[in-house]
Amino acid sequence: MGRYILKRLLWMIPIILGVTVLVFTMMTICPGDPATTILGSLATEEALAAKRVELGLDQPYFKRLVQYLIDVYIRFDLGASWISKIPIISEIKVRLPRTMILSLFTTMLSFGIGIPLGISAATKQGRWQDHLTMVVAMVGCSMPNFWLAMMLVLLFAVKLKWLPALGIGTGIAGLKYYILPAVSNFATGMAIAARQTRSSMLDVIRSDYITTARAKGVPEKSVIRRHALKNALIPIITLVGTTFGNMLGGALIIETIFSIPGMGTYIIGAVGNRDYPVVQAGTIFLAIVFSVFMLLVDIAYAAVDPRIKAQYAAKGGAKKKAKEAKA
Amino acid sequence: MSDVAVKQARPKKKSEFLRVLKELTKNKLAIAGICLILLEVLLAILAPVIAPYDPLLMNLSETFQRPNATHLFGTDDVGRDLLSRILYGARYSLSSGFLAMVFGVVMGVIVGSVAGYFGGQFDNIVMRILDIIQALPGMLLLIVLASMLGGGFLNTIIAMGFGAIAGNARMIRAQILKERTSEYIEACQSINCSRFRIIFQHLLPNCISPIIVGASMSIGNYVVLGSSMSFIGLGVQPPTPEWGALLSDARNYIGMFPHMVIFPGLCIAITVLAFNLIGDGLRDAMDPKLKH
Repeated sequence: MGRYILKRLLWMIPIILGVTVLVFTMMTICPGDPATTILGSLATEEALAAKRVELGLDQPYFKRLVQYLIDVYIRFDLGASWISKIPIISEIKVRLPRTMILSLFTTMLSFGIGIPLGISAATKQGRWQDHLTMVVAMVGCSMPNFWLAMMLVLLFAVKLKWLPALGIGTGIAGLKYYILPAVSNFATGMAIAARQTRSSMLDVIRSDYITTARAKGVPEKSVIRRHALKNALIPIITLVGTTFGNMLGGALIIETIFSIPGMGTYIIGAVGNRDYPVVQAGTIFLAIVFSVFMLLVDIAYAAVDPRIKAQYAAKGGAKKKAKEAKA
Repeated sequence: MSDVAVKQARPKKKSEFLRVLKELTKNKLAIAGICLILLEVLLAILAPVIAPYDPLLMNLSETFQRPNATHLFGTDDVGRDLLSRILYGARYSLSSGFLAMVFGVVMGVIVGSVAGYFGGQFDNIVMRILDIIQALPGMLLLIVLASMLGGGFLNTIIAMGFGAIAGNARMIRAQILKERTSEYIEACQSINCSRFRIIFQHLLPNCISPIIVGASMSIGNYVVLGSSMSFIGLGVQPPTPEWGALLSDARNYIGMFPHMVIFPGLCIAITVLAFNLIGDGLRDAMDPKLKH
């Protein structure tokens, strides 16, 4: 197991390097001249040329790429925004937690509501609970998050004035600023979680060991909780990773609606301004967050399912045996 | 006479396609989805005939009108008729979803099948590149791609399709790896078929159906993605009446004039719902095991 985690961690290094090269290359191909964007269209040709030299844009692509990789991975310097001149790392330190809170909050909501819905649908298959869940899931899947966000703002912020529509707050009271953004982003995740839980529960309920449990007189509640649920939830864990990715992506859009100064508003604003260092650094950070989360999910999956755990143990054991045989 | 007897004795083998179609027509929700989409396509095609006004025509004396008899869906901040804009917007939203799906499938199938068939080092390199692309959350990749290509209808489609390549390529590669060792491929190789012909004429037809189903289920998703991109200003540019762009225009007037937000959003939601209903029906029809 330890070897597996180490291997996965090491494998992240080339992936993140690859992401860096990919994003850097994409930003190089970008149409438009950053110097013109920064200085405005009225700037003289000399000023523009001087700005390009200052930004290093006069250098060839390969040289800039190597310089960027050295800066980021050896000197740990992400540089500063071309527009505001503020060091990127200090911005990310403040903004990343907000995006993380929003994405984690929505992921938790998705599974916290989706799984119970799925269970009730599966245990009451064909009855109104089942139909209601499937309708909720279908509608949830179909609503664009940014539209739902606007509708929620209209209802809860504009009409009822219960919750703030824009911005962020501090401390525990500040959490109420995350309620509308989180709720508007979680519908899709909840729908997917509910459907997956339902179908996985239905699979498990039909298996022989559930029949056995019922036959030996285990109460139905206990059959569902202790026997069925435990096994049905294993495939759901794999879903957590992709859902988190979706929620992270959704958060980028949602932030722009609620004016939350997180990574989404940072990156999307920088894209508009051709502020390449910000786009690159922001993308790399989100890729790292996403990869680490996926790794954690995989580890959790392996830890929960004894069959998978046994596989790793067996692999390690087999190698050891082979080595011993050679010796 | 004996011929007839033989014909009757042999069970008639139905094509898989017809079976799926028959299953699909039994599913009422899927039929409803198909009808909705057909209706929308029809409205989009007939937009110039049906639309009461020019979608780009500004009329500053009729700004912010709530839904009424002359403007069924009301007007926007510069007096453009919303119903006409939504009707024309269906053209952009529906076609961008469909074209992005096609682009993603075609590119994904090419990449995945070539990598899967040749295998070895080439496959390894392609898969590692796909790993890198998939290390980015989909929306983030889309934002970066859209900023690289610039806004606009065609570029949004390319960006969305590109984002789907990795997933499609992986799926088709897995199928190809399964099929590659079958006897009929060995037979092709032994009669010296070209690799191109083996991949695209023999392997692909046997591998492609799960991809097609997956892709058709994802059109709704692309409609949402496309409108999200125009919503944040990276997709179709104003004054083009794309549905996401309509919502983007409306966001500043949400408190005062909710009709500007409600109608375009409902259109997106209904379209996606219809595609999801068809997708669900298709999945059930393809794999009766999944139908509980």
